[in-house]
Amino acid sequence: MPEAEKVDIPEERQREILAIEAKLGANHFEVLGVPAGASKEDVRDAFHALSRRFHPDRFHGKELGSFRARIDTIFKRLVEANNVLTDPDKRQAYLDANPFVRAAIRAATGSTPAHQPEAPRSAEDDARDAERRARLSRHPYLARSSKVFEQLHKARAHIAKGEFSHAFTMLNLAAQIDPQNAEVKALLPEVRKKAELLRSETDYKRALTALEQGNDDLALQALRAAVNASASNAQAALKAAQLLEQRGGDVKEISSFAQKAVDAAPTNVEARVLLGRMLEQGGMKALAKKHFEEAARLGPDHPEVKKHVKKRWPF
Amino acid sequence: MAEREPVIGIDLGTTNSVVAFMQDGTPTVIRNRASTNLTPSVVALSKTGKMLVGQIAKRQAITNATDTVYAAKRLIGRKFSAPQTQDGVKSLSYQVSAGQHDDIRIQLGDKHYSVPEISAMVLRELKLDAEAFFGKPVRKAVITVPAYFNDGQRQATKDAGRIAGLEVLRIINEPTAAALAYGFGKSVNGKIAVFDLGGGTFDVSVLDVSSGVFDVIATGGDTYLGGEDFDNRLIEWLVFDFAKENGIDLRKDRMALQRLKDSSEKAKIELSSAKEAQINLPFISSPPGGGAALHLQKTLTREKFEELCGDLIARTITICEQVLNDAKVKSTDLKEMILVGGMTRVPKVVEAVKQFFRRDPCKGVHPDEVVALGAAVQADALTSADSEVVLLDVTPQSLGVAVAGGYVRRLIPRNTTVPTSVTEIFNTSKDEQTTVKIMVLQGEAEVAHQNELLGEFILTGLRSARRGEVEIDVTFEINSEGIVSVSARDRETGLQQSIQVTASGGLTEEELKRIMEEQADLLLEARTGEELQSRKLELKGLMKEVEDLMPELDKATQGSEFGQEAISKAKAALENARRAFESPVLSKVTESMDVLTRTVSLFKGVLERIK
Ligand SMILES: Nc1ncnc2c1ncn2[C@@H]1O[C@H](COP(=O)(O)OP(=O)(O)OP(=O)(O)O)[C@@H](O)[C@H]1O
Ligand SMILES: [Mg+2]
Repeated sequence: MPEAEKVDIPEERQREILAIEAKLGANHFEVLGVPAGASKEDVRDAFHALSRRFHPDRFHGKELGSFRARIDTIFKRLVEANNVLTDPDKRQAYLDANPFVRAAIRAATGSTPAHQPEAPRSAEDDARDAERRARLSRHPYLARSSKVFEQLHKARAHIAKGEFSHAFTMLNLAAQIDPQNAEVKALLPEVRKKAELLRSETDYKRALTALEQGNDDLALQALRAAVNASASNAQAALKAAQLLEQRGGDVKEISSFAQKAVDAAPTNVEARVLLGRMLEQGGMKALAKKHFEEAARLGPDHPEVKKHVKKRWPF
Repeated sequence: MAEREPVIGIDLGTTNSVVAFMQDGTPTVIRNRASTNLTPSVVALSKTGKMLVGQIAKRQAITNATDTVYAAKRLIGRKFSAPQTQDGVKSLSYQVSAGQHDDIRIQLGDKHYSVPEISAMVLRELKLDAEAFFGKPVRKAVITVPAYFNDGQRQATKDAGRIAGLEVLRIINEPTAAALAYGFGKSVNGKIAVFDLGGGTFDVSVLDVSSGVFDVIATGGDTYLGGEDFDNRLIEWLVFDFAKENGIDLRKDRMALQRLKDSSEKAKIELSSAKEAQINLPFISSPPGGGAALHLQKTLTREKFEELCGDLIARTITICEQVLNDAKVKSTDLKEMILVGGMTRVPKVVEAVKQFFRRDPCKGVHPDEVVALGAAVQADALTSADSEVVLLDVTPQSLGVAVAGGYVRRLIPRNTTVPTSVTEIFNTSKDEQTTVKIMVLQGEAEVAHQNELLGEFILTGLRSARRGEVEIDVTFEINSEGIVSVSARDRETGLQQSIQVTASGGLTEEELKRIMEEQADLLLEARTGEELQSRKLELKGLMKEVEDLMPELDKATQGSEFGQEAISKAKAALENARRAFESPVLSKVTESMDVLTRTVSLFKGVLERIK
């Protein structure tokens, strides 16, 4: 379990959800848990069986926290896999665009040897591959799938070098050519997130430099940009909230930043305390209390938490 | 353990409404306080100023024509100026006027009500019936709507529920509900079709059912095709002949109109079992110049009835064809065919359906009650932990955005399983365009203005750039509650705008056309030149690659002649690529890509050997 969260789902079900979520990037057959090349009927049955467990309605009216988004994503992914594999045209197009899935089918149905151990790759291999890709890309029938392959290849190279915004561009191109490509779809959100985070981190560094130089305005501007760029940059959100508080900024805006910080890092005590304080100032006592309590649970030794807890709930 | 709170399922019909609940695992209709299963969807303001709902309101309709509202569902979520409204008001005996936002207002006494308010009165009545039955308050309900209702009509129905003091757990589709009730508790496995012709609307759906999972594959319909239209055909026939003989248009007299309506419906129903029906309306009118009162007396044969309404039945079959097509199902693949709605008692309808589906419809489904029973099944499934039922429903109509040129770019096609979300990249359509207008459309027409406008919003503060250079992510989402939300995001700045689509009822085609024209400059551009665009981006990538490699190569070849030559060639290729990048001709772009690809592989080869 990544983080302790108050969720109205039995722990066993939570684990089940996390497990299926982890394999959403796999190919359509794997996502549905059927053998590669499974028949339309088997695909449908698997889809129905999984729907019975993961349709959002199964969790209607429950407190779901982060699991709401997870369940929605899982179900959408199941629908996609089912749609593609039960429609002959779509299945064909999918296999055309994803030779590795086709290979898996061949392997599963036993018409070709399952898997050959790979020899270490040489530079020559790479050159040959590049040449073959270039040749294929000119072949009109294969242009589409090989283009996607090429983009994917480039994207992976960028990912390996940590150049996520380049990788994002490449994946986007691939997605435009073949929106159904499972690998592209699986990589895109992750890479987008990383690219955003990277951009956000650059802004954050800019903000820190500005702070050192005493230029608060510039720092604030950079922090805002950082938070805007990525919702996962908890540091930036917290810093923005703190800076604004120092400068006697608008309570609503401070709470909004603090809330973002808490959303991105639910276990950060500082962020919780700050959010609690702001909510309290804004008159939302009950909510504030919730956050103080959570802060107290997370970091009972935090000086301000101690103060607050003592002040409010002398037990 | 506390006793579970009662939850109910409501079929809010055009003509009749029904409420049901799950009794010890069996869906059961709750009788109203007058001890009948069906409650007429009629609301009236009595002469003594009392608000009447249901049978009692229906009974006094003839003597109180102008203050009796029926078939409000035909108006819900529509605009006053919409063609169906304009067509409909001609044959209504109550007063309808336009509200401030072209919404529909219904007059009862000296008050003007919105349509959801009127529907809420029917819902409140059903809620009271249920409370009388349970002996305690009822708050939660699932309400059904025709599958082909658009987002505006669904929202308006939800509003009606709220006004009636109900927490609407879910709005579900009527044919789906019918299938749920049919398949509940049985071990149904296979594809079934539901044909639902009611008082005001027509729906047909194909579902794939397997042990508790009800998977809608395709659905279609017409929200303005039902018993009311058949009745109106008969009224027209009566009125026309009467006018020919006496020179009087009976429709101008509201009381006469109400009597005509009443006897037309009776005759239609009679013809379901008899070959002939008598229409007898004494003292229907008096001649303007004085003289003896006029009577209307006619015999309607089943044959004549079928002739008058043949095209309406044909329309239902056309829609069935389309839905089977969408579902990629042949009629012989179907396990079962279910008839729903009072109008499926008309022999000609049954005959047409039998002929088209090539099978006898399923017996043992109560056409008037099955929808409410299904709503009760779903209400129970949503609120109990151990339910085995899951409904996989679809969005009946496509959703898209208006794009430059007055067209639609579809993001979510009809019959997509919900919840779902789709993101697509769009561009600005004009040079220096810093604002885009996102117009959210629902419908199947290619031209934007023939669709329903669900809502619109503006994304401002875009970078001022050349046409097509600014990229905008547009995301459509339909959540598990069936609510549509749309957001747009400037990919560069991350600036975002979104709406939850709440607009109710559509503009007329003319209005929408005018709006589209006025706002042509603010629209998005779909990536129709997708190929070109994506190649250009690739070209840019290649250009960058060559530019990056050049200094490396320069260093590695240390000013040798070979190196200099390669570099000057590359420079020329880059120059050429820059021109190709500006050009709208695809072949120029791809040619240039080829040249640069060769340059890159040459450079890389050289660098590899030298290193
Ligand atoms: N025996 C019959 N023969 C012919 N028509 C009938 C018969 N019984 C009912 N009807 C017609 O069926 C219609 C009502 O059907 P139903 O109660 O299914 O509609 P509804 O659910 O109120 O409407 P909708 O589903 O369209 O909102 C009316 O037009 C009524 O005249
Ligand atoms: Mg009905």
